[in-house]
Amino acid sequence: MGNNDVLRKRVDELAARVNGKVEEMIDTLVLTVQGAYITETLTAAKNFADVPCDFLHDIAGVDKVTHIEVVYQMTSLRGPQKLRVKAIVDREKPVIDSVTRIWAGANFMEREAYDMFGIQFTGHPNLKRIYMWDDFEGFPLRKDYVTEPVEVRNTMRVRRDDE
Amino acid sequence: MSEMYQEGTEELLLNMGPQHPSMHGVFRMIVRLQGETVTGIEPKIGYLHRGLEKLAESRTYTQFIPYTDRLDYLASPHNNMAYVQAVEKLMGVEVPERAEYLRIIFAELARFASHQVFIASAALDIAGWTAWGYPFRDRERILDLFEMTSGSRLTVNAMRIGGMSFDPTPEFWAALESFVDDMPEKIEEYYNIYLGNEITQGRLKNVGILSKEAAENLCITGPALRASGVQYDVRKAEPYGIYDRFDFDVPVLYGCDSFDRNMIRFLEMNESLKIIRQAMRDIPEGPVMAKVPKIIKPPVGEVYHRVENPKGELGFYIVSNGTPKPERVKIRAGAFVNLQCLEEIGVGTYIQDLICSFASLDAVLGEVDK
Repeated sequence: MGNNDVLRKRVDELAARVNGKVEEMIDTLVLTVQGAYITETLTAAKNFADVPCDFLHDIAGVDKVTHIEVVYQMTSLRGPQKLRVKAIVDREKPVIDSVTRIWAGANFMEREAYDMFGIQFTGHPNLKRIYMWDDFEGFPLRKDYVTEPVEVRNTMRVRRDDE
Repeated sequence: MSEMYQEGTEELLLNMGPQHPSMHGVFRMIVRLQGETVTGIEPKIGYLHRGLEKLAESRTYTQFIPYTDRLDYLASPHNNMAYVQAVEKLMGVEVPERAEYLRIIFAELARFASHQVFIASAALDIAGWTAWGYPFRDRERILDLFEMTSGSRLTVNAMRIGGMSFDPTPEFWAALESFVDDMPEKIEEYYNIYLGNEITQGRLKNVGILSKEAAENLCITGPALRASGVQYDVRKAEPYGIYDRFDFDVPVLYGCDSFDRNMIRFLEMNESLKIIRQAMRDIPEGPVMAKVPKIIKPPVGEVYHRVENPKGELGFYIVSNGTPKPERVKIRAGAFVNLQCLEEIGVGTYIQDLICSFASLDAVLGEVDK
C-alpha cells in the first residue's frame, strides 16, 4: 500500500469518527469538519500511524458569506503526505478552539485570522490584533467590509493649444 | 557589592524600532530587560501592512502578479513563481520547457542576491562594516542582470501565468556566465571577511539556540530549520517546476545557533550556483510563453502551492470561484511565521546577542507585513 492509500484510509477512519467529509482537490486530501471537532481532528492527524501530518504550515480564514472556514494546511517533514483540514464556523459568532497547544507556531497564524476575520480562538495565549492597530474597527478580509473609496484624480496634464 | 545590586536591578522596558538601525525595516519589538539580560520579547508588526490579500480580491489574476513582487522584495522572482505556479496548478496549464529553465535561473539568482544582502546586513549588525561592502558590490551584478532583461532591478515582475514575460538577450547569457565563474571565489572572500573572523565567531557561536524540537513545534521553515538539524527543503520534498531534474544538495547543520544560521547561507549560495550552471547547460530553445486565454478564469477550486523562498517557505492558498478575480488569496509568508521563534532564541541572552539572533532569521518586513 502506497503512502497515499494509507493516508486516505486514515483520513477516512478519522472522518467517520468526527463526522467529516473527505474529498480530493487537485493534489491534496481535504477533510471538512465542524468547528467543534477541530482539536480532536488535528490531534488525531498529527498522530496518524505511519503517515503523521505533524507539521502545520498555515491557518487561513475564508469568508464564504454563509459561514466562515478556517483552513489548516499540514504536511510532514519526513514524508510526502499532505492534508488540508477545513473547519466550518458560524459567521455571526465565529468561535473555535485554538491549536496553539498542539503547535506553538499556530500563535501568529491565529492572531492573523482573528485580526482579519474576527475568529475567536479559545485558549489562545495572546489573542490580539497583529497587523491592524488595537482600536481598529471591523475585520478587513470579510466580504462585507467596506474599504475606503479610492480617490481617482486626473494626473495627466492637459495641453492647451495656446501654450 | 552593594546591597542594591544583590537585590537585582529594576526591570526595564526597552522599545526597539520601528526606526532602529538593526531592525531591518520597520520591525518593532518591546524588550523586557533585567540589567542586560532579556527576560521577555514582544514583537510588534504591521507597520508595512498594505493589505495585499484584500487587494487581490479586487484584481484579476494577472493584475496581482506585480503585487507579489512587493512581498519579499529582495527575492521577487520567488514570489512571482509561487503565485503563478499556484494559478497554473489550478488551471492545469503546461509551461514551455525554456520558461521553466528561465524561472529556475531567475529564482536561484534571486536566492543568491538575497543571501548576499543577508550577509551584509547581519555583518553590519555586529559592526562589521567591511563585510557589508563586498556582498553589496557583487549583488549589483545580479541586479544588472535583472535590469538587462526586465528593465527593473528589484521588483522584477519576471513571470506570467503560463511562462515568462521575456526571453533574455545574448548579452544576458554572457554576463551570467562570467558572474557564475567569478562567484565561488567571492563566496570564499565573504566567508573570510565575515564568518572566518574570530570575533564574529565569538559573537555568534552558541548564541540564540533553537533546538530541533522547538523549531518543528514553532513551524519554522527555510534556512533556520535546516540550521537546527532538519534536512527539509521544498525543492526536494515536493519539487515544483523542474527542480527534480537538478543535482544539488540540501545543506544541513546541527549547531542550532546563530553561527549555523549564518553558515547555512554560505552553503546554499554554492548550491544555487550549481543549479544555475546546470540550467545554463541544459536550457532548450523554444517559446517562453504557453498559449493561455486572454482572460484567466480558473475553474472552481482551491490550491495550496509552496516554494522554497530564501527566507523560508512561501505558500499561496488560492480559492477560485470561477470568475476572473480570486475569491481569496492567502499568503503564507515564511519570515512571518519564523519570527515566532524570537522569544525562544532571545529570552535569557544578552541584548547585544538578541540583535545577532534576530539578524540570523533574515526577516524581510515586506513579506512579514504583507
